[in-house]
Amino acid sequence: MGPKRNSRKSSERVRTPRKTAPQTPQLPSRGTTMPPFKDEHILLIAPGSQMTLAQLGLPETFTPAQFRFPTRMFPAEKKGEFEPYRVNEKRHEVKISSGPTAPKADVEMKDAEASATEAAVKPEGETETTESTEQTTKTVEEIVYEEDVASDEGAIYPIQNGRIVDWPCFFALLTHVYNTLSPPFHTPVMLIGQPVWSSRDRETIAQFVFEKFKAPAFSLMDSALAACYGYGTSTATVVDVGKGKVDVTAVTDFAVNEHGRGIALEGCGGDAMTDRLVELLGHKGFTREMCEQLKRSNIVEILPPGTPLPGAAATARQGANPAAAASTGGPDANDSAPRGPGDGTQTGTESNNDDEEEGVLDVAAIVSGNTTEYLANIEKEKTTNKKGAVDPKAARLPNSKKEKASFQYEGFVQLEDEKATASGPRQYVRHTRDIEVSVERFLLTSPRSNTGDRLTGGILEDIATQIHHTILAVPDATKRSELWDSLIIVGCGSKVKGFTQALLGVITQKFILSPSGTIFTSEIPSTFTTPLPTGGTNTPAPMGQPGPMYHPAAHGVNPLLVAATHNNPGMPGMPGAMPGTPGMDPNMASHYRSTGHSQTPTSTKTLKLPEYFPDFKDQGNSNAPGASAGNAGATPGASQSGHGSEEAVFLGAQMAAKVFFVVDQGLSKGYMSRVDYNESGPSAIHEYIL
Amino acid sequence: MNPSNPPQAAEYGGDEVSAIVLDPGYSTTRAGFAGEDAPKSLIPTYYGKYNADGQEKIVYGDDVFVTPRPGLSVYNPLNKDGIVEDWDMAEKVWEHSFMSRLTGTKAGNPFQNGLNDDGTQEPPEEMEVESDEKPLSDSPLLMTEPGWNPAKAREKTIEIAMEKWDTPAFYLARTGVLASFASGKASALVIDIGASNISVTPIHDGMILKRGVQHSPLGGDYISSQISALFKANSPQPITITPHYLISSKTAVEAGQAPQAKYKTFPADKAPDASYRALLEERTLAEFKECVVQVWPGPTRLSAPGPNGIPNEDMARTYPGRPFEFPDGYNQVFGVDRFRVVESLFDAKAAVPDPESSFPPPTPAQTIPELVKASLAGVDVDLRPHLLANVVVTGGSSLLYGFTERLNHELMQMFPGPRVRVTAAGNTSERRFGSWIGGSILASLGTFHQMWISKKEYEEHGPNIVEKRCK
Repeated sequence: MGPKRNSRKSSERVRTPRKTAPQTPQLPSRGTTMPPFKDEHILLIAPGSQMTLAQLGLPETFTPAQFRFPTRMFPAEKKGEFEPYRVNEKRHEVKISSGPTAPKADVEMKDAEASATEAAVKPEGETETTESTEQTTKTVEEIVYEEDVASDEGAIYPIQNGRIVDWPCFFALLTHVYNTLSPPFHTPVMLIGQPVWSSRDRETIAQFVFEKFKAPAFSLMDSALAACYGYGTSTATVVDVGKGKVDVTAVTDFAVNEHGRGIALEGCGGDAMTDRLVELLGHKGFTREMCEQLKRSNIVEILPPGTPLPGAAATARQGANPAAAASTGGPDANDSAPRGPGDGTQTGTESNNDDEEEGVLDVAAIVSGNTTEYLANIEKEKTTNKKGAVDPKAARLPNSKKEKASFQYEGFVQLEDEKATASGPRQYVRHTRDIEVSVERFLLTSPRSNTGDRLTGGILEDIATQIHHTILAVPDATKRSELWDSLIIVGCGSKVKGFTQALLGVITQKFILSPSGTIFTSEIPSTFTTPLPTGGTNTPAPMGQPGPMYHPAAHGVNPLLVAATHNNPGMPGMPGAMPGTPGMDPNMASHYRSTGHSQTPTSTKTLKLPEYFPDFKDQGNSNAPGASAGNAGATPGASQSGHGSEEAVFLGAQMAAKVFFVVDQGLSKGYMSRVDYNESGPSAIHEYIL
Repeated sequence: MNPSNPPQAAEYGGDEVSAIVLDPGYSTTRAGFAGEDAPKSLIPTYYGKYNADGQEKIVYGDDVFVTPRPGLSVYNPLNKDGIVEDWDMAEKVWEHSFMSRLTGTKAGNPFQNGLNDDGTQEPPEEMEVESDEKPLSDSPLLMTEPGWNPAKAREKTIEIAMEKWDTPAFYLARTGVLASFASGKASALVIDIGASNISVTPIHDGMILKRGVQHSPLGGDYISSQISALFKANSPQPITITPHYLISSKTAVEAGQAPQAKYKTFPADKAPDASYRALLEERTLAEFKECVVQVWPGPTRLSAPGPNGIPNEDMARTYPGRPFEFPDGYNQVFGVDRFRVVESLFDAKAAVPDPESSFPPPTPAQTIPELVKASLAGVDVDLRPHLLANVVVTGGSSLLYGFTERLNHELMQMFPGPRVRVTAAGNTSERRFGSWIGGSILASLGTFHQMWISKKEYEEHGPNIVEKRCK
């Protein structure tokens, strides 16, 4: 990835009219006054609407981000300041609690806490939770502040749909991230920028980083470009499916194409899928939170267009299953959700808990010796268990063929015991139960019945249309075919099983050109002449000779041939020059190549994530909380469509940081140094924006 | 440097502010910072309007191409001549072009809290700005205009820039002049093939020669109308374009066979109206122009016999056709017809007749060779050879395959005496954004600083100052 960058940058800079002279002499001096940056002193921050990923230092082998911060802050008591956790104010004149209201299951926080490292770094005071308030109740007439790590009530989300809506809050978040990781001075910072950020936004951020963090170097990298680095490709169409929006970016030769870029396309993100589930299941008593967890579970799947929904046959088989009968709901005092068996009810199918136990091998037993025997035993138990519990035929049925499946819902239930009310703060228990869902779980990308002010054909169609628009807007038409063939789909919204395949299916249905028209029937082979390597450049094209306008690539005869001839350096075509004028501008050749192209797309496919970073593969499976828990009725472990990771952006950020900060030490202008900043101010960041 | 020593405080003292260059065209509006090599923001000048929840909503930017909306209709604030007609909406569209990607949509001071919350540092003085900040309070603005922009429109433009956007400095430059700057020439004959217009502008020493400015409506939209006329007259059956938004899926069919696609239907009260469909059809036509349409290379006209006696049309027939597939899956190979649709740019008689077209049949005076002739007739005789030696071709529609070559032949035939030299940027984006790039160069020149009309000057002399200063 590195060497290619260099060449692009240098060629691009030549044409830039902006005076670059003052910067050139600094390059050597930067090398002498500043010691080289080290791997362990690089701070990476990738803010998203929902989650901000951060990491200090580059590990030996790149791993998913060490830190995950929910992208939200809480207003502090002093106006304009922010706290990372909700602070409750308590007055203790009365002994009645004004404790937190029902905390929503906070998936973000769970993620954050699951990260083993974070627990260690968390400031001590912040680990104080609701339970600890009991001591404070004795003091009367005193205001006590306590941090409530579980609550997100009153939270301010500074980034919405990628856009920074609350700058003070956003800066407070950056500061919180920075302080939590507490890097040493002289740590270069790399921030992954959202496509929607305007130039002014980027200047503001650069100014903040330099003036507040006193960073010696700062790199602001576009998330789409980072994804390309992650995939190790220079040209790709990056589709970033976020929470509330989708970004579609065409990257050619490591350059982001701003024109026609699909920026923050609303109503297409993960939320739109949840909305659809709520619409489908709402009348059955599903809350939004349940739908959110359902979406994250692995029984949800997007079927390729045209796939019939599992129908009657599957139901019949399923009907024999005790789970289906049991699933109409046990007595559950606290929640009126439907179809859920009560707490602790065993729900059959494969939602058996031994799936979870499978993972928890008794390490002690393994260590103490007879490993193979132990494992074999477990294996045996498992199979016998399964045979005993479930009809094997039904078990083997893939999720997409089953009409019904259930997932494990985790919610908080308030304890309303006597002792709880007495002590003040209410207590909650995590409460899991299985909920069965029918074919609605395959319909989350179907068009909503109430489309609001969009005439949408479902989010996949919207995304496909945007991809088509974006690729068509790429000025270099020869790249378009490659762009269709190198889709990169990132972002947590794409984690839903089958998303990628279904999207490719929609593109095929709507946009792929039929081969009959373009390849086989259209051309008469006899008229198809061999390409002229340099023909027609120095002589006016005489009649009848296949002259400049006659490049075979223009006919879309055979994609391979087109590709081959497009790489032909001496293309015919000579606009403007007098006949006989020698010396052809290579740019002109490239122009003529670009007009004489054929229509796209003739095919489309996604890129594969390089396999050198096994951690990024795993991430796809373990990140969805629902997926790791009760995976009822799914092929085990297949919660990801198997094509790479939704967090390739962060992988790319690590690679780019390694290249820019460590390997080439600023030669490719991958970052802005403090010296540059002091000389030219924040607006110079545009010279370094990637 | 020791990682445990804190660095010194930042010493950024300069206030280098890049000017914003805004190049409003008929089909697209380009905006970006001066000094960059391509406009960062490119949006359609068209905007969409629809009603939702009893409120009128307006859509700007690319979204109009991607998201169909109930009852959406599409408008352009400019008239066919490229002159602003609807000033309120033109202002909004232009504003969107620089606010969306450059200055940000939200005015206000982001520095108040985040930067200074450690309390040890006072907020820097220059960041103190009032909260009702207007979009361009701190960026000079260079705008472009066609050479035939009336004085009224020029004054209105500076009024918007100064009063609505509060720009500290403003300049209005002609697209032709800027395009010649972009190709590095101070004197040139600029041939600009745009969407709504083609124009010929003679430039001498960076000054426009007003009497030589010529324009005619045979631009990209006219070519589209010619293509539509061709589709109507197509045999065996006429071709209708069904834009992508009306199709849910298509099936591959053999060339020339009726399309087999599943169409989408919208309820009558929700369907976007005809203007929206026309805009989306134009997308397909643009693709058609890129992939299929070709300018007959010359040296003689398509209707004339070639040098060896065979009529050019027959010659063109022997060339292999180019296939094109429409959004509904219909596909066909286009042979000699693909030359015909653009031939009338050079030969008015060759126009594909279509009585229903909104474009009247072209007159000979509207063709490019005649425009060049008329333009040169309007300038000093001594300048003509110099201009012919510096013909600059710019504009998106000049990217038609084979265009510059044909132009070269036509000019050489018409002016056999002087040396004709046609220059055209090879790079697609340099060709499309010629005048923007010229503006980018101009506004970043140190010597240009004295040219700006400052806010103070505007307040002193009123909008009429633009006539005096921007010649």
